[in-house]
This record gives sequence, structure tokens and C-alpha cells, in this order.
Amino acid sequence: MLARDPSSRWRRALCVVSAMAASVAIAACGGDDSDSDTAATGGKPERGGSLTVLAGVGYAGAWPAGLDPATNTNGAANQHYMSSIFGQLFELREGGKIYPSLARGFKYAPDAKSVQIFLRKGVKFTDGAPFDAETVAWHINRVLKSDCTCRPTWPVKSVVAKGADTVVISFAAPYGAAINSLIVSNANWVASKQSLEKMGERAFRLKPVGAGPFKVVSNKLSSELVLERNPDFWQKGRPYLDKLTFKTTGGDQAALQAMQAGQAQVYDNVSTPALIDQAKGDDKFITTQHESTSPYVLQLNTQAPPFDDKKAREAIYYATDTEAIRTKLFKNKYEVTQGFTGPGGLFYHQKVPGYRTFDLAKAKQLVQELGGLEVTLGTIKVLVAEQTTRALQSQWQQAGIKVKIESYDLAGLIQAFQSKKWQSMLQTAGSWDPAAGVGVAFRYSSLSPFSGTKDKKLDGLFAAAAATTDNAERDTRYQAAAKYISDQAYSPFMFAFAPATVVTKNVQGPGLSEPLPPIVVTPTVPWEEVSAVSEK
Amino acid sequence: MTTPTLAQPRPRPIGRGPARAFRSPLLRLIGKRLLAAIPVLWGVTLVTFLVVNVMPGDAATQLLGAEASQEQVDALRDRLGLDEPLVERYVTWLGDMVTGDLGRSYASEQSVPAILAERLPVTAELLAFAFLVSLALTVPVAVLASRRPNGILDRVSMMLSMTGLSVANYVLALVLVYVFAVKLQVLPALGFVTPKESVVGNIKSLVLPAVAIGFPLFCFYTRLLRADILEQMQGEDYVVTAKAKGVGPWRVLIRHALPNSMFGLITIVALNLGTLIGATVIIEQIFSLPGIGPKLLEAINNRDVFVIQSVVLVLATVVVVANLIADILYAVLDPRVRYERPAD
Repeated sequence: MLARDPSSRWRRALCVVSAMAASVAIAACGGDDSDSDTAATGGKPERGGSLTVLAGVGYAGAWPAGLDPATNTNGAANQHYMSSIFGQLFELREGGKIYPSLARGFKYAPDAKSVQIFLRKGVKFTDGAPFDAETVAWHINRVLKSDCTCRPTWPVKSVVAKGADTVVISFAAPYGAAINSLIVSNANWVASKQSLEKMGERAFRLKPVGAGPFKVVSNKLSSELVLERNPDFWQKGRPYLDKLTFKTTGGDQAALQAMQAGQAQVYDNVSTPALIDQAKGDDKFITTQHESTSPYVLQLNTQAPPFDDKKAREAIYYATDTEAIRTKLFKNKYEVTQGFTGPGGLFYHQKVPGYRTFDLAKAKQLVQELGGLEVTLGTIKVLVAEQTTRALQSQWQQAGIKVKIESYDLAGLIQAFQSKKWQSMLQTAGSWDPAAGVGVAFRYSSLSPFSGTKDKKLDGLFAAAAATTDNAERDTRYQAAAKYISDQAYSPFMFAFAPATVVTKNVQGPGLSEPLPPIVVTPTVPWEEVSAVSEK
Repeated sequence: MTTPTLAQPRPRPIGRGPARAFRSPLLRLIGKRLLAAIPVLWGVTLVTFLVVNVMPGDAATQLLGAEASQEQVDALRDRLGLDEPLVERYVTWLGDMVTGDLGRSYASEQSVPAILAERLPVTAELLAFAFLVSLALTVPVAVLASRRPNGILDRVSMMLSMTGLSVANYVLALVLVYVFAVKLQVLPALGFVTPKESVVGNIKSLVLPAVAIGFPLFCFYTRLLRADILEQMQGEDYVVTAKAKGVGPWRVLIRHALPNSMFGLITIVALNLGTLIGATVIIEQIFSLPGIGPKLLEAINNRDVFVIQSVVLVLATVVVVANLIADILYAVLDPRVRYERPAD
């Protein structure tokens, strides 16, 4: 049961206005209730045509630092632009399979202390320079040595070229998650050394050169990026499209209206639940709900009161009714999860043995034993997160917990973490491979400033899980880590949220008309495979 | 007989050449206003600099994001010069600015003049269009409404104005897109076409955003001007005199009351200009216009001080110039202002 918060009256009024605007926008578009939204049009891909892709201003639509892989801190959000321009060494494709693209394969050493990457022969950058091992090794070293937070944090000892088409990455410790981490990192987008040296870093950020399926025509930072087909792309007959334009737009509502007006064909990050439903009901669109890889987690700061006391943490576990939030607030859209893996990720397990589920009586009893509990619950200013914290506030109050909620912009959130005075935060944790990208260590490592735990045993469990190349072994180790988090009552998990992709019916391609596992938030679309099927 | 007075060189007539120009009341007014603008603009830069620097976080933490370690943040702070004392940073920026060096964006390392050159024309065109739309409609509608107070036209304009004033411009923008782009498909829902690419395309790309910004302005200006005209028509002696002399009602309204009612409108328009940047932030985002509004917001989020300072300085200058133009228009409309005589 979600209690009403009098202070949210204005917000509710705003919601009503927004909902009315949304209804005006979509109501007249008809549609049916069928579940065919995720079905592709099935037409044969055709060469030619152009697409306009919209990106929300708060995430993919921001590339303030430009598009150089060594300096673009927003790389994960800007993956569409990066993979279109630079291509990818490896792509994450259907069924969570790693597909060699600019690379043709990889091989781990038996002890997982090195990995060889074999490059495709005869490939050229769009400036005509050869795509060879020396350039790829230079690129990975450049990314690893940059002072950008986009720099991968692998335990790398060296990256060297071996012959013309093999790159060897050596590690200081066994690292079986190397290739899984590579596809999530800026190292996967190889820049042209020749162009970078010729243009200089500043100009390269604005008009970068790679060996991807498209070349940059114009780039207005965080506003509009126009790309044209690379006729010399390594894969014959690809890309299908002649032109690709990315435009930043104000948000879900504006993006869907522009698509209805026929002025854009793709929007890949619809996160407003009501608009996802309405887009699904519109027969002009194909709406693909991706499977989440990063569930929401309630981080509890175990280094400061009140959550340095296990009883207080347990009270939060018992007072949290995730199922009610999932079903009533989000209409069963997202799966409940008890660990740091989402249904779209590797090593997903929904349940964790011994996990403490909602039990109001136990929560009340614990709060009583503690002599009361006052909590500040923070989150970032994102609609789904803010709605969830308001629901949690009312649930926790029923258990006798006094709750103050805070919403931060990114700067405020970082400050709150750095102050070390925070108590609880609703955040997301994990990624497709828990060891890859920002990963799960970001929320749990003793060394991370954004972690609520300092536990050497947990650090060891995560390090061990990343050390082997045996996925079955890794799965077992991650399950052990999830169980340990649950047993210590370090952080209740909520649900696995993922945005949806909406495309017009004539658009075909993996990650757009067909689901792909999201690497971080949304899937990395292989744009060379995307086509605009003519409507007959 | 000689006339010594004729033999002497003729004294230079007072008021010819530059000396006369200096004595021109209008030019004196402009000179005074421009001089007064200097401390105003300086104050704006100082306050902006202080505000940006007291906000939580700095460019280093913002640009590096949540994953940054303290060492990375410290290194970037050092590289960007954020460790230097506030006063020193401000004085350095001010000195550079005076010599025409507006610096580089912390985020992209693009030069600030390049950013302004890329973005400002779009916003300037949008705002000019919005003002044009609003003012072109305001005067005839206010005149028609005030011709017969509480008549049908007045009531319709009142209803329209109240609607426009109560609807937020982002909601209006979405409704406009729905009607004109989605349903009628006569105007684009997003994007900007430069005049170089197509003049017609350029106008079409700006119609909806300009109406979204201009319509609430039109509503506000119409109510203001209507009330002012009515006040003139009902209470001023010169109107009674004109009527007594047999001047027709339309002529009294347009030739006599309207010019006297324009002062309030001119003042509000000039003051409004600075506040409209808030509207452009949202509207430019909704319509995917590559203007300065979203760039300013992004710069604020990234604590990109040089970009913020320069954009705010340009906006402040525009407001100062707009107010100067308003002053000149007062002087054109009212000789008492021109000659600095007190109003009777």
C-alpha cells in the first residue's frame, strides 16, 4: 500500500499535465492490443536510405567532451556514435554471443594471464591508414593511460603488437573477463593514429576517424551528429544505410511525437513507463523491451550509523516490499531480483537463498529493538528512481522508520558519496558481465568511493569471480558473492529496470527491431546491420 | 566704412560638427546608458563567476563523473587551474576577456567564440522570430479588443490570453507538434534548417518553436497593451479633446491613444529578453535546435565556467542593448524624455 505524501501534490499535478500531454500526443494514433510489437517487419534488408535517430538529452544525447575514445567520459551512453564511427573489435550480439567484427577472434592463455586478439586482415581506416596490430596496441595503450574515467581498470601489465595482425594483452593477475570487459570499454572503438596525429586531439574529438561503417560529416556537440556510409567498410554490402543522423531531443515525449510526425525513425531509451505502454499500442512502431542487466539496489552505508548496525540493515530488508512497487507502480514491467545480476546479463539468478523478503512485523520489531530508526534515502533525479524512493518512503514509514528523501543531480550525488555521510541510496548495480565496465565492484569494492561496504572477503569473492575464464566457475563464484551480500544484509535489491527501444515499422536491425542484451543500459546496436525497409 | 564685425572671422556656429553631436540630447542619453552598462556587465560577470563557483562540485568532478578517483579529480583540477584562488582566476578571466580571449570549454576544449558562433545565431533567430510573432499579433489584437471593451473580440482575446498565460510553453510546444507536425504534417517536429540550406525550410523549422515561445508573450503583451489603451481612452484629456474636435474613434485610438500606450509594452519587451533564455533551454531541446540554451544548461551541469561566463555576458549585453533601444524609443515617442524635461 502506497501512502500519499502531501508534499507531492504539485508533482502529482505535474504528472496529470504530463499525462494529458502524452495522451494528446498518442491517443489519436490508434493501434491494437496485440503483442506483436517486438516482431520485426521481416522484410529483406535493402541498401540505401537514411535514418534519424533521437537521443534523450540526459543520457545518450550528451557528448560534451567529443567522441575521442580516450577522452569521452560518456562512452557507454554514446555507444551508438562510437560504434558507428569506429566499428567494434567485438560485438555483443543475439543471445549474448560475442561476435568478432574488426577482430576475427581471441584466445586466452591457459592461466588467463594474457589474451591474444587476432585482427581482420586488409581492413583500413576511413583515412586510408591500415588497421593493423601496431595501431590497435597503440590505441589500447592510449585509452589505458588516459586520465579519463572512461579508462578501463583491468589489471594490465602490457599491450603489444605481435606481427601485423595480433595484439597481446598481458595481465598482472589472471583476468578471465578481459574480452567481456573489452566490449564494454572505450578500447573496443579503435581510433586512427594517423588522423589523430595529423588533426591534433582537439580537432579529432570533433571529427574523429575510425574503421567503422560510417564517417563523420558534421558534429555539433550534444546536438547533432551526421554520418555517411563508409564505402570501404570491411564487410561487403554493409552498412545498408547511406546516411545516419543522430539528434538530441528533450525527452521521451518529444521524441515519440517526432517519430509520429515521421521525422525520426529510432529512439532507443524510452524510460517513462506510461509512454512505453502507449508506444506499444501504436501500430506505426515496433517497441522492444530489453532485458535489464543492472538492477536497482538500495545501497546502505555500512561505515556510518545507523547502517553500521546489522539490525538496522535487516529492518530495511524486511520493510521493503519490492513486489508491491513492481506490480502497483510499474505494472509488472520489471523483474524482481535479489542479486546484482539482471535477466539480460551473464550469470543471472533471480533468487538468492536466505534472502530476507518483506515482513512488516519483523521490520517493526527490529525498529522497536533499535529504539527507532531515522533514515535519509537519496537517489539521482530520474523519474523511475524518484517514484521508487517515494514508494519506499511510505513503506518504511509503515514499519516505524522515519524517512527523509533526497534527489540529487550528478554533482550532488557525487558530493553526497564523497562526504561519506550518506545513509542509503537507490542506485543501479552491475552490468552484462558483473566484472565489466562500471561493474558491481563500483557499488561494493572497499576501494570505491561509491561503495557502502568495506569488506575484504567480498572484495576477494569478486576478484576470484573475474579471474577465471570458466563461465560455470564464475557463475558459482558470483552466486557466492550475492549470497554473502544477502547474508550480511548489505543492500536489498529491487527490480531490474531497463528502458525500451522504439523504432518505426520500416526499421530493421539487431538491438532495434530485435532484442539484444544491453551492455550497460541499452544495447550496442551494430549499425552496419541496420536497414530501412521500404514500405510496400 | 568698414564694419569691423564683418572683417573678423565669423564665429563657428554653436552646434555644428562633433560639438553639436555631443550636445544632442539623444546621443547624450545613449552615451550615459553605455557608460552605465559597463559596471552592470562587470557586476554580471562577477556574480555569475561567484555563483558558478559556490555551486556544489566543480568542472573536474563533473567532467570525470561518478567513477573518478580522488587522484584523477585532483589531476584534472590542477590541469584546469581550478586550484588557483578564486580571485586570481576571476581576474585572469576578466583580463583575457577584455583582450578578446574568452577561453576554451573545459569539456570539449573548443574555443568559446567558436561555440558562440555556432550556437548564438540559432537562438537569436528563434528569439527574433518569437518576438516578431508576438508583437505582430499583439498590437492589432489589443487595439481591436480595446475598441469595444467587453465586446465579443475583447472576450475572445481575453480567453485566448488566459489560456496562453496558464499553459507552460513546453506543454504548448508538444500540443503544437501534435497538431501541426503529427496530424496536419505541415511543419517539422524537430531540427533546424539554416537559411543557407533553404530560406523556406529555415522559416518552417522555426515556426513552431517561435510560436511556443511567442504565444505566451503575445498573451501577456495583449493584456498589458489593452489595459493601457483603455486607460488612455477613458481617462486622458487629450482623448476627450480629440473626440470633441470630431476625430473619429479609430483615429483617436490608433493615432493618439496607441502611441501613448506603447511605453509599458516597450519596457516589458526589453526586460523580457533576458528572461527568455530559460524558455529557449526547454524549447530548443524539444525541437532539437542547436541553439545556445541547451549548451548553457550543459555548461552549467559541467561547471564549464568559461562557457557560462561568456554566454551570460552576451545575454547581459543583449539585455543592456535592448533597454537602450527602449530608452531611445521612449525618446522618439516622447520629446520630454529626449530633452530630459520632467513630465508635467
